[in-house]
Amino acid sequence: MNLSQSKQALRSIALAALLSAASLGATAQAEKPQYGGTLNIGMVYVTLSPLSWDPADWAWKFGQDTGLMYEQLFAADLNKSIRKGGKHAFVADSWLPSDAIRGELAESWKTMDNPFRVEVKLRKGVMFPEKPGVMKARELVADDVVYSFTRLDKSPKKIPTYFDHVDKVEAKDKHTVLFTFKNYNAEWDYRFGWGYYSAIVPKEVSDAGAGNWKNANGTGPFMLSDYVQGNAVTFSKNNQYWDKEQIAGQPYKMPFVDKIVYRTIKDEASYLTALRTAKLDVLEGIRWSAVEELKKNAPGLKWKRSVDTGGTFVAMRVDTKPFDDIRVRQALNMAVNKPEIVQQYYGGNAVLFGYPMHPDYAGYYETLDQMPVAAQDLFKYNPDKAKALLAEAGLAKGFSFKVQVCSCSPDHMDLLPLVAAYLEKVNVKMEIQPMEYGAFLSAMTTKTNAAGYLMRNGHTNPTTSIRKSFVTKQTWNPSQYSDPEMDKRMAATYLERDESKRQLLIKLMTRDIVEKAPYIWLPTPIGYSAWWPWVKNYDGELRAGSERPGPIHARMWVDQTMKKKMGF
Amino acid sequence: MTDTAELPSARSPTRHFFSRLIHEKPVGAAAALVFLLFVFCGVFANLLAPYGFNEINMLERLKAPSWKYLFGTDNLGRDMFSRCLYGAQLSVIIGLSAAALATTISVLIGLLSGYLGGKIDMVVQRIVDAYMSFPELVILIAVVSVVGPGMLQIIGILSLVLGIGGSRIIRSAVITARENMYVHAAQSIGASTPRVLWRHLLPNIMPPIIVLFTTRVGAAILIESGLSFLGLGVPPPAPTWGGLLSGSGRTYMFQGPWLALAPGLCLTAVVYATNVFGDALRDLLDPRMRGSK
Amino acid sequence: MGSYVLRRLLALIPTLLIASIIVFVTIRMIPGDVIDLMLSQNDIGADKRSREQLVQALGLDRSMPDQYFRWISAILQGDLGNSLWHSTPVLREVLNRLPVTFELGAMALVIGLLIALPIGVYSAMRQDTPGDLAARSFAILLLAVPSFWMGTMVMVFPSIWWGWSPEINYVKFSEDPWQNIKQMILPALVLGTSLSAVTMRMTRTMMLEVLRQDYIRTAWAKGLSERVVIMRHAVRNALIPVVTLIGLQAPLLIGGAVIIEQIFVLPGMGLMMLEAVNQRDYPVITGVFLVVGVTVMLINLLVDLTYGLLDPRVRHQ
Repeated sequence: MNLSQSKQALRSIALAALLSAASLGATAQAEKPQYGGTLNIGMVYVTLSPLSWDPADWAWKFGQDTGLMYEQLFAADLNKSIRKGGKHAFVADSWLPSDAIRGELAESWKTMDNPFRVEVKLRKGVMFPEKPGVMKARELVADDVVYSFTRLDKSPKKIPTYFDHVDKVEAKDKHTVLFTFKNYNAEWDYRFGWGYYSAIVPKEVSDAGAGNWKNANGTGPFMLSDYVQGNAVTFSKNNQYWDKEQIAGQPYKMPFVDKIVYRTIKDEASYLTALRTAKLDVLEGIRWSAVEELKKNAPGLKWKRSVDTGGTFVAMRVDTKPFDDIRVRQALNMAVNKPEIVQQYYGGNAVLFGYPMHPDYAGYYETLDQMPVAAQDLFKYNPDKAKALLAEAGLAKGFSFKVQVCSCSPDHMDLLPLVAAYLEKVNVKMEIQPMEYGAFLSAMTTKTNAAGYLMRNGHTNPTTSIRKSFVTKQTWNPSQYSDPEMDKRMAATYLERDESKRQLLIKLMTRDIVEKAPYIWLPTPIGYSAWWPWVKNYDGELRAGSERPGPIHARMWVDQTMKKKMGF
Repeated sequence: MTDTAELPSARSPTRHFFSRLIHEKPVGAAAALVFLLFVFCGVFANLLAPYGFNEINMLERLKAPSWKYLFGTDNLGRDMFSRCLYGAQLSVIIGLSAAALATTISVLIGLLSGYLGGKIDMVVQRIVDAYMSFPELVILIAVVSVVGPGMLQIIGILSLVLGIGGSRIIRSAVITARENMYVHAAQSIGASTPRVLWRHLLPNIMPPIIVLFTTRVGAAILIESGLSFLGLGVPPPAPTWGGLLSGSGRTYMFQGPWLALAPGLCLTAVVYATNVFGDALRDLLDPRMRGSK
Repeated sequence: MGSYVLRRLLALIPTLLIASIIVFVTIRMIPGDVIDLMLSQNDIGADKRSREQLVQALGLDRSMPDQYFRWISAILQGDLGNSLWHSTPVLREVLNRLPVTFELGAMALVIGLLIALPIGVYSAMRQDTPGDLAARSFAILLLAVPSFWMGTMVMVFPSIWWGWSPEINYVKFSEDPWQNIKQMILPALVLGTSLSAVTMRMTRTMMLEVLRQDYIRTAWAKGLSERVVIMRHAVRNALIPVVTLIGLQAPLLIGGAVIIEQIFVLPGMGLMMLEAVNQRDYPVITGVFLVVGVTVMLINLLVDLTYGLLDPRVRHQ
C-alpha cells in the first residue's frame, strides 16, 4: 500500500468512526452548526473569471459573481429542497418553480389588476454595511429598488424590449415599491425579481463607480473583500446580516463561515487536482469522464448528479437547402444512433431527451413516451427510414454540408466526428469547421453561421427556452427557425396569467418544435457536483435564482473538527 | 593545419561521410536511424496503418494495447497505432517544413543584418525587435482566427515566428565570424559580397545553422502541441501527436494511460532523435574541428 | 559607449510605433468583434438600434485612425484606457498581473541558467566523454517533453500518490513570501528546465567554438591553468550567444508562459492576454502589448549593451 492509499484508508476509517459517532443519539440533521472556517468553492463556470461588478453591464454571470453580496427581491425557497423534505433540486440555471419562491428583500407582495400591478413590501431593518469612502451604514429603502431598476433600464447595454411591459416603478413609502405594468407578462418576476440582472445596488456604489470591485457593497451575508483577477474572489462575513437559517427547527444567525473564496481555474486537470487534495471544498461542474477516477482516489467525497442545464444539438439552417425540407431534418435525426451515444460515448451519463424542456421543469416537462409518436421516432435509431426519407426528398445520393463547432469545447470536438460517422452511413457527409470561441459565437449573432452548427444552449426557464431559440430573428436561433404561428403562440403564452394554462401551451409548443426538428437533437449529458463531507447544510443544490448560487453557499457551514480529523 | 584525411581519397565523399558518422558518432547514427524510421512511417502511413485514423467504433472504446490494437484504442474506439502513424505523417511534415522555412528565413535575415551592418542592420534589427516584442500568442491567435485553424496556416505561422526569432542567433554568429581573419582576407583581395558570404562566411556559420535547423524541427512539433493544448492547433480529428497528447491523452489519462503514452513517447523520441542527430552532424561538419579529436 | 546607448534608446521609439500600429490593426481584423460577443451574452435578439447604442458607448463608432490617435495621446498621458468588459483601467489591471509574470520569468530564468551553464561548460570541456553524452542526453530529454505535459504530471500525480498538490491561492510576495514561493517554485522549475535545455546546448556549442580559438591555444601554450583559461577567456566569449538567448526568451517570459500559468493557476500576463483575445477586449490587448513590448525592448537593449561589454570588437563599429 503506498502512502496515498494508507492516507486514504486512515481517512475512511476516521470518517466511518465519525459517522457512527454522529449516528449515536441524534440524527445527522440535528447537528448544531459550527461557526468559522473558510470555504473554497469551484462553481459551475470555474474556468471563467467574473465578467463585471456592475449590473448595468447586463452581464449574465453577475448573479454568480456577486450573489453572496447583492440581494434581490425574490430568491429560491431553499426549505423546499429535496434535502429538506421538499421536491426541488434547484439545479435549473434560470428557473424557480412558482411554489418555491420566497421573498428575499421582499417581505411580502401582492398583485392587483386593471392595470396589472405588483406591490412589494420590503423587509424592515435590512442594512447596507458601512463602506469606507463609499457610504455609511444605512437601511435598505424602496428608493434603492427604484434606483436599481431605473439604472438598469437606462443602461446602453440593456437588452431591448426586456422591460417593455413595465410602465413605471415608484416608491410609495419607505418600504413599499409599486410596479405598474402595461400588460401582464409571465416573466415579470424573472425579469426584475430573481433574474440575472435584478440585484439591488445602492446609489452610493454607483456614484463611486459600480464597476470597481473595491466599491461594491450590498445587503447580503458576505462582503467582497478581495479580488485577484484570474485567480480568486474572496468574500468575508457580514456580521450584521439580517437573515437566519432554520436547522432542525432552530433559527441560527447567518452566515456561518468566515470566508468564502470563489476560485477561477482554467485547466480541468488542475481543478480536479485541487478537489482531490481539498484545496477546493466544493466543485460544481465535474465532467462525467472524471468521476470514476475521483471516486477511486478521493473516496471521502460526496456526490450529486444532475442533468446538464444546456441542450446539445446540431442546428440546421432551415432557410437553406436541403434543410428547408422537414423530411431531410427528420432523416438526419433518425440516422444518428442516439441511444448508442448515451450508452457508449457518455457511458450512460446522459439522458436521451432533455431539451428544450429540462427534466426538472416540473409541470412543463414531458418524458419521451408522453410525446407524440412522430417525436419519439426522432430518438430511435432507424437508418433505413432515414434513407427512405432522404430518397423521398430526392437526396438518395446523399449530400454534404458544413458544420461549425467551437474548438474551445473538447467534448464537442469529440462528439462531432461521431455524429459525422453515423451520417456517413446514410451518404450524408459533414465538413467539420472548427472555429475559435469569439468567431464561433459571432457567426451565430450575425446570423452568418453555416448550415450546420453544433452548440450547447442553456435552458434558462420554460418560456425563455422556447422563445430565445424558436421565435423569429432571436439571437440564439442558429437554425433561423421562423414560424409566424409559433411567434403568435409564444406572445400569447406571455400574456397568460394562469400557470397551468401556460404549462399546457408550452408543452404543445415543445411537442411541435421537437417534431419539426430544426435541430439534430442530441442526448443531454449528466454533470456531477462533488464536495467534502465537512461541508454541511448542502446537498448539491446549484442555483437559487438566475445563475445565483449565493444564498445556497451562504447557508453552508464547515465541520472543522471533521476536516482536521480527515487530515486536511 | 592539414591532415592526411583531407587528401583526395579513392572513396566518394558521401561514403566517406557515412563511415565517419558510424565510426565517430555511433549515437548520432542511431538517432538518424530512429528519425528515418519515423519519416518512413509518416510517408507510408497509409500503407502501414491497419485501420483508418478516424475509424470510429464505439464498441471497442478504451481497449488496452493488444495484438489487435497495438497501442490500444481511444474513447471513440479508434486504433491508436494507426492514429500515431498518421500523426507521424502530420508531425513530421509540420516539423520539417516549418523548420526548413524558418531556418531559411533566419539565415537570410541574420546574414543580411549581421554582415552588412550599419544602417541596414539597424533597420532590420528594428523590425525584428518590433516583431519579437509581440507575445507569440497574439500573433498565433490572430492569424489562426483570421485564416482559421488548419495545417498550412500553422506551418506558415510557425515558420514566421521561429524564423524571425532564430535570426538573432545567426546574426550573432555572423558578427563573430565576420571578424575572422580569412573573411578579412577575402574582402581585401576584392571578392564580391555574395562570394564572400557564400564561400567564406556561410561555411563558417554552418554549425549554428545546422543546430538551429535541428532544434527548429523539434520546436515546431512542440509548439504545435502547445497550440493544441490551447485549442488552436491542427483541429481534430487530425491526429497530431500534440493534439492526441493534450486532448484525449489528458482527459483519459487514468482510464487509458496508453492514450498519452503512445503519442507522448513518439513525440519525445522524434524530438530527441533530431537533436542528437543534429549534434552529431554539427560535430562532423565543423571545418575547424577536422583534424582535431 | 555612451553614444551607443543613446542611439539604441532612440531607436526604440520608431520600433514601438510600428509595433503598436501593427497590433492595433491586427486585433481588429479578427472576425467576431466585441459587439457581437457582448450582444451574444444576452438571450434576446439585438436589433440594429441596440447595436448602435453599444458601439457608441464603447467609442467604437469612430474611424480607425481616430481611435488610434486617441489611444496614443491617452498613453502619453499615462492612460491606457478602460477594459471594454470590466470598465476598469487597463493600466491597473496590467500592473496587477505584471509582478506575477516577472517573478515567474525571473525564477525560471535563474533556474534555467543554473542548470544550463555548468552543464554546458562541463560538456564542452569533456567533449565526447560519457559525462558529456549523459549531460547532452539529459538536456535533450528535457527539451523533448512538452511543457504542458510536464506541468500536468507535476500537478496531477503527486495528488494521487501523496495527496499533495501545489498551492493555488495567489498571494503577493510582499504579503506572504513563503506562500508565494510555495506556489511559484514548481511552475518556475517546469519552465526553467525547458528553457535550460536550449540554453545548455547553445552554451556547449559556443564554448566548443571558443575553445578552438587561437587566443585560447595561446593561453594554453603560455601554461595558464585550465581554470584561468576558462574563466577569463572562453566563458566570456561563449556568453555572447547565451545572452542572446536570454533576450530571445524575454517575450516568452514576459508575454506569455500561458500554458504554465493555466496549469498552475497563476494570474499572469499570458492568461490575461488569452482571455482578452477571446473576448476581443481591444484596450486590454493593446495595453498589454504595449507594456510587454516596452519591457522586452528594454531587455533587448540590455542584451545589446552586454554584447558591447563582452566583445570589444562589437563596440567599435
